[in-house]
Amino acid sequence: MKYDLIIVGSGIAATALSHRILEKNRNASILMLEAGQKVKMQDAALWQDYIVSGKLPYAKFNDRPYPERDMPGQNQNIGETVVPLAGSRVMTYGGSTIHWGGWSFRLKPEDFFMETNTNTSINWPIDYDTLEPYYGEAEHYIGVSGDSEDNNPPRSSSYPFPAFPYTYEDSSVAAAIHALGMDFSNVPIARHGILSSTSFNAPCKTTGTCKYCPFGARYTATNFLNHMSDEKDYPNLEIRINCVVNTIDMNAKNKAKGITYYNKTTKETLSVEAKEIIVAGGAIESPKLLQRSVSEFWLQGIGNDDGNVGRYFVTHPYFIFTADIAENKSLKQPEMNFPTLCTRHFDNKHEQAKGKFILVHPPSSPQIDIAELMKSGNSRAEIDESIKGANTVQIHGMVEIFSEFNNYVANLANAKNQIGLPQTIVDYSKSPEFNDRMAYIQSKVERIFEQMDAKIQGKPTISWRADHSACTCRMSEDPKKGVTDKNMKLHGVDNIYVCSNAAFTSTGAINPTLTLTALSLRLGDHINEKLEA
Amino acid sequence: MSTKPVIHPLSQNLDTIEVEVFDTMFRLFEHIGVYWQNIDNSEPYRSELYVFMQNRINLYPIYHQYYKAAFNTINKMIVQMGEQACYQEIFTDPYANLPPVDTNLSIVRQKVSNEFIDFQLSLGGFKSFGATNYPGYIGGALIPGQPVPYRTMEKKT
Repeated sequence: MKYDLIIVGSGIAATALSHRILEKNRNASILMLEAGQKVKMQDAALWQDYIVSGKLPYAKFNDRPYPERDMPGQNQNIGETVVPLAGSRVMTYGGSTIHWGGWSFRLKPEDFFMETNTNTSINWPIDYDTLEPYYGEAEHYIGVSGDSEDNNPPRSSSYPFPAFPYTYEDSSVAAAIHALGMDFSNVPIARHGILSSTSFNAPCKTTGTCKYCPFGARYTATNFLNHMSDEKDYPNLEIRINCVVNTIDMNAKNKAKGITYYNKTTKETLSVEAKEIIVAGGAIESPKLLQRSVSEFWLQGIGNDDGNVGRYFVTHPYFIFTADIAENKSLKQPEMNFPTLCTRHFDNKHEQAKGKFILVHPPSSPQIDIAELMKSGNSRAEIDESIKGANTVQIHGMVEIFSEFNNYVANLANAKNQIGLPQTIVDYSKSPEFNDRMAYIQSKVERIFEQMDAKIQGKPTISWRADHSACTCRMSEDPKKGVTDKNMKLHGVDNIYVCSNAAFTSTGAINPTLTLTALSLRLGDHINEKLEA
Repeated sequence: MSTKPVIHPLSQNLDTIEVEVFDTMFRLFEHIGVYWQNIDNSEPYRSELYVFMQNRINLYPIYHQYYKAAFNTINKMIVQMGEQACYQEIFTDPYANLPPVDTNLSIVRQKVSNEFIDFQLSLGGFKSFGATNYPGYIGGALIPGQPVPYRTMEKKT
């Protein structure tokens, strides 16, 4: 059998893309191949286990930490900057939206013109206006609660659900930001709200346990895939788990025939054919699959004659500033599990050349943990004093980093992980300017803390974890500068697409998932036209 | 929530929780509210505690043994030192809270009492500390025209 589409991976890109195609043509034949397994969702016992132990049922599908001298570990970090893969992604049916925070920001118009505005990097081959309608559709598809009056960046449609009001915890930081003449705004968040019609998505009930939502209110591709395969009438949608794709097989330089994969359940190696191949394995696995698909037509891997596949690897450093406050008389405490307030004041064209950044007020600020205080044997009086007394507050954020050729990911030869995927080499070194940029950011954050009568503890903690990995098969109209074209199709091949953060040209200062969803829906339209033709 | 619960293969053939074991566990749960003065009446949560314990056993069969061990330890301690002193020791003994879990008292503290604290707070025990919502508590949906299920910037409650 020859499928219309083979999709490698089953995360949000695969799910949104197949949803788009099947909505148009329910008989389209799609084979989705996932290396990982299924995780039981919305289970009461697993939820309670998370509440009392913090254990997440999908943690076993994370990468292991890098090897240490007395620990075997997984993968290899060879750059000057350690970019942990451990905890950054979940190799499971449904992919990493099983653990994501759901922050659903749009890029801004200037983000698409990095080269024009800053003389660095390259421009996206599409602009904001091209993607804007798809952003709106993506917000409805994943169910985003946000402020429809917030027109920065511009929007032509409303969010499907209203924004969650700012928390009481937000009040101090909001007042400080306002006093400094800056704007703050609601964090657009992928949590379903109340609908007037029936939906398989329950509304968010603010349980504060979003990493394993007991109701499925946070968008998780796992739930959408279950819905598509169990409830929808899509006769030719086939999802196979435990299947590791080894290679993409070519008929000619410009034509893929199909793929070869290993079924871990049946222990068979099989080949299947398709008209179109979609590589949707994320920004780490997608380039690795292309790199190892070596043939007489592509001696360095598919699309890799110029050596760009896996290059330009980038992620967001996530920084956490902490400050001390003398008292917390108003008994502010963590009441939510997601942030409601952010400022994109520094996410603008003026800051673009040195690295735009956003600041977010986390839901755990002040940092009060009543359960830990009780479990540690504190008396009621001691806990009350601890809540209203001296505490710490935090401001988190992300800064845009520019992708550079020397930073890359690749297959680690002869080493597989617990999923059966080849382990990964990560080579990343931060730029010499990074520390200066963080000092600048610290000066801005310090001013906010000063307004709050909070004393900053010093430099932030910075995580380079690879949650927002991107750009490893970046789009460009110039095949010498990018791996994919404006439709995320591989340059030089007629029927292979990279539907992933890998195809991003740059990342802006914000989380990539909404943009990836918009790109996936747009690719769905492109594929539909192609299949109809 | 899912209607087909996850059950460990070794949990399927275990006996149900004995009445006397559950009664002792419920007394421990009640005393959390008494000691920290955060729930006056724990009785409405009796059935929820039972389901919670059953869920723990379904995921990890060893909890069947933990609860039995806690039952024996608590009742012996009550005989030896009286009820109030027994619970005070369970809740506050610093050594019982240190890993590994290798004494009877540390089983009661770390595998039972501490987990009951988390569960009790998520059922509403957090409210007496001043908040409206809490991680693990089903605060409710954001419904237009209805009170927001957490304290907001505009209004505390």
